[in-house]
Amino acid sequence: MGKLTLGHGSGGRLTQELITEITNIFPDKAKLSELEDCAFIGNGYAVTIDCFTVTPRTFPGGDIGELAICGSANDLAVRGVRPEFISLSIVIEEGFELEELKLYMKSAAAICSDLGIKLASGDTKVVPMGAVDGIFLTTCAIGRSELNLPLGMTNLQPGDGILVSTSIGRHGAAIGASRFELEAEGLKSDCTPLWPALKDILDLEGLRSMRDCTRGGLGTVMCEWAEGRNIGIEMEEAKIPIQEEVASVCDILGFDPLYLACEGCAAIAVSPDQEEEALQRLRKHEICKEAALIGRVVDSHKGLVGLRTSIGGMRVVDMPVGEMLPRIC
Amino acid sequence: MSESERSKRVDLLLKALNRLAVRPMTVMEVCGTHTVSVFRNGIRSLIPKNIRLLSGPGCPVCVTDQGDLDAIISLSEEPDVIIATYGDMMRVPGTFSSLAKKKGEGSDIRVITTATSCLDLARENLSKEVVFLAIGFETTSPATASMLMEAKETGITNLSITCFHKRTPPVLEQLAMDEELKIDAFLLPGHVSVILGYEPYSFLADHYGIACTIAGFEAEDILLGLVDLASQVARRNPHLDSTYQRAVRPSGNVVAQKLLETVFEYGNACWRGIGEIPNSGLRLREPFRNYDALERFNFKIEKILPPEGCLCGEVLSGKIIPPECPLFAESCTPVTPVGPCMVSGEGTCSAYYKFTRGGTISWEN
Repeated sequence: MGKLTLGHGSGGRLTQELITEITNIFPDKAKLSELEDCAFIGNGYAVTIDCFTVTPRTFPGGDIGELAICGSANDLAVRGVRPEFISLSIVIEEGFELEELKLYMKSAAAICSDLGIKLASGDTKVVPMGAVDGIFLTTCAIGRSELNLPLGMTNLQPGDGILVSTSIGRHGAAIGASRFELEAEGLKSDCTPLWPALKDILDLEGLRSMRDCTRGGLGTVMCEWAEGRNIGIEMEEAKIPIQEEVASVCDILGFDPLYLACEGCAAIAVSPDQEEEALQRLRKHEICKEAALIGRVVDSHKGLVGLRTSIGGMRVVDMPVGEMLPRIC
Repeated sequence: MSESERSKRVDLLLKALNRLAVRPMTVMEVCGTHTVSVFRNGIRSLIPKNIRLLSGPGCPVCVTDQGDLDAIISLSEEPDVIIATYGDMMRVPGTFSSLAKKKGEGSDIRVITTATSCLDLARENLSKEVVFLAIGFETTSPATASMLMEAKETGITNLSITCFHKRTPPVLEQLAMDEELKIDAFLLPGHVSVILGYEPYSFLADHYGIACTIAGFEAEDILLGLVDLASQVARRNPHLDSTYQRAVRPSGNVVAQKLLETVFEYGNACWRGIGEIPNSGLRLREPFRNYDALERFNFKIEKILPPEGCLCGEVLSGKIIPPECPLFAESCTPVTPVGPCMVSGEGTCSAYYKFTRGGTISWEN
């Protein structure tokens, strides 16, 4: 692939290729091979790591500090793991305002306090001006699962219902709107910790798999499930909750909400007999009151995601390739 | 509109279409936004089988000639140049590279959403030259014109454009004349018509006997457009109609037309894979000619053929559908695009690939 482009960081097909290039260098004996949001490393312990860089650093609904904790904590939560410890690494550009840094740390600390997460270790580096764009945060989250069987896409079966925990695309739309200076009243990132809501459905026997719909959005997660397990997935466009503000930003910029990043939305697969129960439990939480059943795992068109459009047509949902860029007209 | 009202309306339109589509009919949707909406809504899976939908040359990025693309990409290598571009151009492959790759290699390339952002870019970067990649049809050319007028009035000099704007009516005439295509009906582009109004299309029905309707972009708009066209074809009464009256005035947008007239004049333009079409492009008029980036940087556009085997031209003129191109979904995929039709958000090949995975699956309804 020669030199990397921003498309390689978009979460879609190019990112997948880059990850394969990297992991292929590691021999089987020197790696775990699950491609999920976090990895189980024995005795129920799970670990994940994520690096955060976002422009603008403060956006409607959150900031990079909050994002850095939520992002990693959510990667654990969707596999049924209570986030317990965080390791935090900060790379800061020379000349960065200390007060601004402290602001982000306060946001991060508030989420940690709420969730009972302890800051366990960390590292700071200050690099010469121009070497990074302001500040990069990396968080590694560790926790322990009390489930007997780990959640994951290997559990998916035809007939399973697919839920989303809230309306999709709010983070991507909020960032896109601020980046292009579109005033979108009422539009906020969905950046939030998922554990408080997801913990309440963990004891459902029919719970199969959950994924955090971050980079690449719901569409990418569905493609990863369909391709990863060679199953078919069908979604119904009319049932996917999308806030009006998100839809209008997508209209203007030519984005597809299915591929917009979320930072507080999980895709959840659950056996058909427990869909309703899962929805009811989720909707008791403020952050999940828009939870909805949006589709199903099917036995046909294996490896592909289909969407029944709101006018009753059918089309494929494919994994996006590069960055989502605003269109020309 | 509630979900049930909507489905009632769609149902009504589909029933009408089924009744009216008694004769086989080839319809070309001219606009890339129509193409994408047809796919995004799964319209092909709903309409009668004897309606053949062809996608036309309506994706601004796709019709940009290989030589023009290469010039744009080479410009990004010039020292102290900031390239300002609409997002669609970023990943379009030139002969050797793309803007996205050049950005990765250190060129200063900014994605903008309106031409007027170039003015701020130029003001904030006085030691640099901002080059705006002016492409697109009548939907984007008025914005370029307005931006240049302001640049001239406010004395901004570190700004220029590569003027590859194209006009819609001449290419439609070229397609209408084509014996091989035998187009029965045009679904005319809503956005372009907001600017142009009705008159520039009247020759299509008058001289070539082609049914025409100006249509909007929602699924229902497209279905309504098809109902209108099917009715014209069934009654053998081709004429120019509009099913998008909520947005398009018969006279178009007179202010925008005036802007275009002030800044641009007609010139021949090269369309990718189709060739040169007389008067199908816009050139800067004399008072604005010093804003021409190609002249400023002394760039000559070279005649460069598209990569071997790439049939973008045939796709753009509706002669083949993408799965009929030997490169489609083989060496040309969204990850390794050979031509712009595979990479642009509105490209026909990209839409075929993205929404049908190469046309290899069909759905049970």
